[in-house]
Amino acid sequence: MNLIESHLAKAAGLDKVSAGMDVSCKVGYVAAHDVTAPIAIKQFREIGVDKVFDPKRVLLIVDHIYPAASEKARDSVWIMDDFAREFGIPIYKKGEGVIHQIMYEKHRAEPGELVVIADSHTCTCGGYGAIGIGVGSTEAAAAMATGRLDLEVPAVVQVYLTGKLKENVFGKDFILYLGEIFGTDYLTDKGLLITGPGIECFSVAERMTVCNMGTELGSMITLFGTEEKEMEVEEIREIDLSTLNPKIAKPFSPANVCDVAEVAGLPITQVVVGSCTNGRINDMEQVALALKGRQVHPGVNMLVVPSSKNVLNTMEEKGWCKIIREANATVLNPGCGPCFGAHEGLISNRDVVVSTTNRNFPGRMGANKGQIYLASPATAAASAIAGKITVPGTEASL
Amino acid sequence: MEVLKGRVFVLGDDVDTDQILPGYAMAEPFEQLGKYAMAGAPGLDFLNRVQPGDIIVAGRNFGCGSSREQAPIALKMAGLGLVVAAGFARIFRRNAINIGLPVYVADIAGVLKDGDIIEVDMVKGVIRYPEGQVAAKPLSDNVLKTLDYGGLIPRVRAELGIS
Repeated sequence: MNLIESHLAKAAGLDKVSAGMDVSCKVGYVAAHDVTAPIAIKQFREIGVDKVFDPKRVLLIVDHIYPAASEKARDSVWIMDDFAREFGIPIYKKGEGVIHQIMYEKHRAEPGELVVIADSHTCTCGGYGAIGIGVGSTEAAAAMATGRLDLEVPAVVQVYLTGKLKENVFGKDFILYLGEIFGTDYLTDKGLLITGPGIECFSVAERMTVCNMGTELGSMITLFGTEEKEMEVEEIREIDLSTLNPKIAKPFSPANVCDVAEVAGLPITQVVVGSCTNGRINDMEQVALALKGRQVHPGVNMLVVPSSKNVLNTMEEKGWCKIIREANATVLNPGCGPCFGAHEGLISNRDVVVSTTNRNFPGRMGANKGQIYLASPATAAASAIAGKITVPGTEASL
Repeated sequence: MEVLKGRVFVLGDDVDTDQILPGYAMAEPFEQLGKYAMAGAPGLDFLNRVQPGDIIVAGRNFGCGSSREQAPIALKMAGLGLVVAAGFARIFRRNAINIGLPVYVADIAGVLKDGDIIEVDMVKGVIRYPEGQVAAKPLSDNVLKTLDYGGLIPRVRAELGIS
């Protein structure tokens, strides 16, 4: 068995599993946020059980629309609050941060444990060794009641990494590159296992960025393994990390990827750094390094969204918030920010955005023809200063 | 699961969940979601054209993106009876089945045009369309079982012995 199969076998209580088997797995955590929880709660109540499977392991987190941008958004919080009180489960409702970051900081699953969240980016926890499976509200409701998830064991594609990343190339550039080679559906229903000596290039935070966008490639589970090559997999792709350049996803697909250099010079109007993809301390450090002593271009709005209160605290302690503000950028409250087009920075058809988030579909951040380019925080910050898409490391010196 | 017959909307590849149900509509109450089906693809004029029992026929990777269950719920509430696509994103496919909206894998978008009437037998694995018919893989017993219950929640209730 490969690492993904070993973890699933353990969760299913079986000695061995193989690709294609239907198994019922024990779940470590189940969670939902303000966009998915109201329907999950409705469905849970319809099941008609009087308790969740384990009140310490079912969580609700308000991250998508906080503070409420509409009465309806506020109603969702009340639905969650009532449910949390009734069933005695933890709720985060004061803008503590994005669900995947809160799970990492406060409810961290053990390696191999299953995390089931009603959110597609649940795969983020593969960066710290857990098996994250994104589901919809109904499946989350069933898991809240039963503590189990039925799934089919995926065939596994292994990406075996050698070499070292060049300067100004990050986890984000690597996962965008995987989009370039795999496209959006080659990995549908498959597991993506990342191994090899090259994984040492990536901190846990960077690994979370990589795994976060596994869902953009269609994968069911994305997981970092060890430096050893695994042999019991469907397919192995070897990648020499030293060959990668900074990458960018052009409108309107996260897999429409090229080198940043190929689109450098394109004028932009907004930059977003943050989200469950790139809103962690290391990402904010890149922004602060780039902006220190510089100004965001007058034609650009730059929005910086820490992924948690903890990240924001660090930014303040290190003086990064001041650097960002003095560069004429805006630090928003922790959460999902403008990533998915509900609040805090919607765009019109005239806008061209460089964002560190995970999706650039038509209308994702507002207007249908607004253009979104996805890139690393270093590329985003360099572009914000120049007012045009810029390869990090090529900015004019101070 | 009976044979489904309906008029088709033909769509392309990579129809994402922001097109099916845009982010701004996600906080809408459950009962209102049908009013936003395909609102992220304004050129389609879906809401003015859709009739009960209509079928979307699409290319690869239908439903890619978000886990929002509001997407298949909106389609179902707008009256859609079935989605046939060359491929589905995993979470969308499971969500649709879990809420009782049938989805079926077959690559037929290329041979159909908007307004064609098709007949889909997902148990036998046959799709009949104006110019002929095509075989496709029948739905698995597991999926059929969930759809026959009307979705995952009634199925879980039955399995937990709640009447």
